[in-house]
Parts: sequence; C-alpha cells; structure tokens
Amino acid sequence: MRRPTIPALVIAVGVLVLADFLVVNDSLGELAGVAIDAAIVVAAGAALAGVGALVARRANDVWRRRGDPVGAGLVLAGMAAVLVAGLRPGAEGASDPAVGWIVSALMLPIGATLFGLLFVTTLSAARRSVDTGGREAIVLVGSAVVLLILLVPIGGTAGDALAAAADWALEVPIGAVFRGILIGVAVLVAVFAARTLLGIGSTDD
Amino acid sequence: MTDLTRRAPWLWRALLLLALALALLPTTDLLRLAGSLDAADGMVAIVDDLPPESLVLVGFDPDLGTYAEIRPTVRTLLADLLEHDARLVFVSLTPEGRALAIAERARLLASAVAPERLMDVGFVPGAEAALVSLARAVDGTGDGLVAGLPDEPFALGLVIGGNDIGPRSWVEQFEPRVVAVEIVAVAPTVLLPELTPYLESGQLRALLATPRDGAAYRESVAPTPLGDFDGPAPLAVLVGVLVAVAVLGFAVVSGLGDSLRSSRGREPA
Repeated sequence: MRRPTIPALVIAVGVLVLADFLVVNDSLGELAGVAIDAAIVVAAGAALAGVGALVARRANDVWRRRGDPVGAGLVLAGMAAVLVAGLRPGAEGASDPAVGWIVSALMLPIGATLFGLLFVTTLSAARRSVDTGGREAIVLVGSAVVLLILLVPIGGTAGDALAAAADWALEVPIGAVFRGILIGVAVLVAVFAARTLLGIGSTDD
Repeated sequence: MTDLTRRAPWLWRALLLLALALALLPTTDLLRLAGSLDAADGMVAIVDDLPPESLVLVGFDPDLGTYAEIRPTVRTLLADLLEHDARLVFVSLTPEGRALAIAERARLLASAVAPERLMDVGFVPGAEAALVSLARAVDGTGDGLVAGLPDEPFALGLVIGGNDIGPRSWVEQFEPRVVAVEIVAVAPTVLLPELTPYLESGQLRALLATPRDGAAYRESVAPTPLGDFDGPAPLAVLVGVLVAVAVLGFAVVSGLGDSLRSSRGREPA
C-alpha cells in the first residue's frame, strides 16, 4: 500500500522553494526559509547521528577486540583529541589554535600522504586493467597517455603548442563528453522530480 | 621485467631515489609549468579592481585528493586579496572543506594577518540548502541558520572547489539569488569541463582551473609579505609525467601486442 506522506511533503516543499525562487514575496520567502532551515537542521542531525554511530561501532570493536581494534582505538583517540581541543574550558571551538594544529600538522599531512600513494596505485590499477586484455581499457589508458604527453611542462614554441592542444582536448572532446553525461543526469533528475511531483510512481521506486 | 627485478632488486629503489633527486634540481628555462599569462588576466583584473577594505566571501570546499593541485594558487590568491586590503569571510559547506579552511586560516593567522581580516562563518551543514540559506543571509532576505556574517555588502564571492559543493553549486544556488555579488573560482582540472560554460556565460567572472592557469596566475602576481608561492617544480612534474607515460605506455603497447596476437590466432588457416 502506498503512503502518500513523503511524496506530499516533497511536492509541497519543492513547489514552495520553486515559487520562492520565481516570485518575490516576503511571506513566501519566510515559508521557504523555514523549509530550508529545516533541511539544514535535518542534515546537521544526520551528521551528528553518523558520528554517534561511528563512535558506537568503533567503541564496540575496541571492547570486543574484533575487526581492527587498534585502528578503531586510533579513530576514537583522534575524535577525542579534536573534541577536547575545541570544547575544553576557554577554547574557541573550531577556531582554537589547538584544533588548527591537529588539523594542519596531523590530519592534512596524513591525508595528503595517503592521496600521494594514489600516484602509484592508480598507475598499477591502470596497468592491470590493460593486462586483462579489454579493448576499452586499452583505449582508456592510451587516451590517458596522450593527455599526459600534452601536459609535459616544457617551455618555448613546443610547450605552447602542447599547452594549446591540452586546452583544446579539455575544452572540446572531454568537455563534450562530460557535459553530455551531465545533461543526461539532469534530464533524468528532472524526469524523476516531475514524476514525484505528479504522483506517478512512488519515491521508493 | 620480473627477470630484471630479480637480478637487480635494488633497481626500483634506485629509480625512486633518482626521481626524487631530479625533482630537487633547480628549474631550467627549458621547463615551464605556466602557459599563456593571458589565462590569469581575468582574475588579476578583478582582484586589482577591488576597492580597499572589500569584503570577500570565500566558499572554501576543496577536497584532500585534489587540493595539492590548487593549493599554491589558492594561497597566492588569498595573499593577493589580503595585499589588496580585502577582508575575507570563510565559510565551508563540506566537512573536508572545513578542515582545509581551518588549516589555511591557521596558516594565515600564524603569518601575522589580523584576525579581523580573516572572519570565519564556519561549517554550514545541508549542502544546497545551506547554500540557499547562505545566499538569503548575504542578500538580507532572511538570516536563517547562517550566523556570523558581517552586516556589510560583499564585493566578491571566491569559491575554492573540489568537493561536491563547488563553483557549479554556487552558480546554480547562490548567484541567481545574490546577483550583486560576482563569483570567481579556483578549481582542480577535473572540474574544468563543467565550469567552462559558466565562464563563457559570465556567471563565473574568472576561473583558474588547470595547473598551467594556476602557474600563470602565480607568475602574474608580485610576491607578497605572506610568501612567494612557487608551486611544484616543473622538473618534479616532468619526472612524474614521464614515469606515468613510461608505465602506461608500456602497458598499452603490451596490451596491443597481446590483442593482435590473439586476433591472428583466431584467424582461419
């Protein structure tokens, strides 16, 4: 049996925000503002619930010594360190220098190191995908090689020519494919939204 | 290749050390990361035209994976804005962007920039809804849940992109609601295809979205007391590109050879 509450809410809020976007009216604006603020509160609540679930899951891992208890302990210790740094008496919250230090000196360098490893792992993954023998993989990796050559940082006339070719490749063929995908996604979203607003099908489809 | 590795197990380590050593060598004139300096003209002109004490809203939402690509350009642009006596108001709509904003603010505060020039609205959850609420707060049509904005008009919106909520979201949600505030952006190359139409339509006033554009901008801006952000050495980039081309090129040639051999094997005698 279909429950009309959620589609009705979606329709009401969607029409309200759309009308506020198109019509200048203070009362409408205030109503739309309430809906938008409600979305923000729900998002904040969902984020907090996510953090709570993460803490519960990792604490359980540590308590029962399952999975990766050391990693779970480190996650909990990291969260506790940021919370203590930002919420201790006299602290300035997220703007506190201690929080800044934890983020700048620990979190970002560790994150950057992990992403730096992507250079090696991406090359390895690309090589393995070609080794499987798929023609699509060969075309994909071959295109990547051509683009990489265009990005070689040399000066002079040759460098200018490479730069112009790279700009053309980014703006024309790659841009066309990318925008085609975006337009396709947008059309699908619009169709889905219209179906929801018109009550065709259910939001759970 | 495996045989070679077995005979000389130290080879990969030696190649890695060689690559690192090459990257540390001084740059020569033969290598150049910046393309045409014209690419940076739009951004330079906009920053130069800002009146003193302008208020700039900085939507800081890069992601950790691509921030390394735009970091020198972002730092140069922030330093240039401060050099033009602008006041920056940071806001982030993603947790990752918030972490990076905290780090950049901390770095600028450590460089003796006055805190009142680096205001902080913080993290606003809600993705697009947060952006709409922010637009309404900036436009004065509603305070919403976005707190800490100064009660003055903004001269410019600067979006540092990379995450889901980037320049495209700002053009879609913020720009139509706050037409008085023009938007400029710095974004990683991966976002260029989706942002180019907005640049051509004028919805984005200026965009720095490739390493070459970023390098051109950095060359166009005079060094500031906050530092001279050179970015990566072209030789280091060259080494990385050549390694990638060698590995992938070898794989493609091998793959093509295998494909050719197997198709010949299937041909009837």
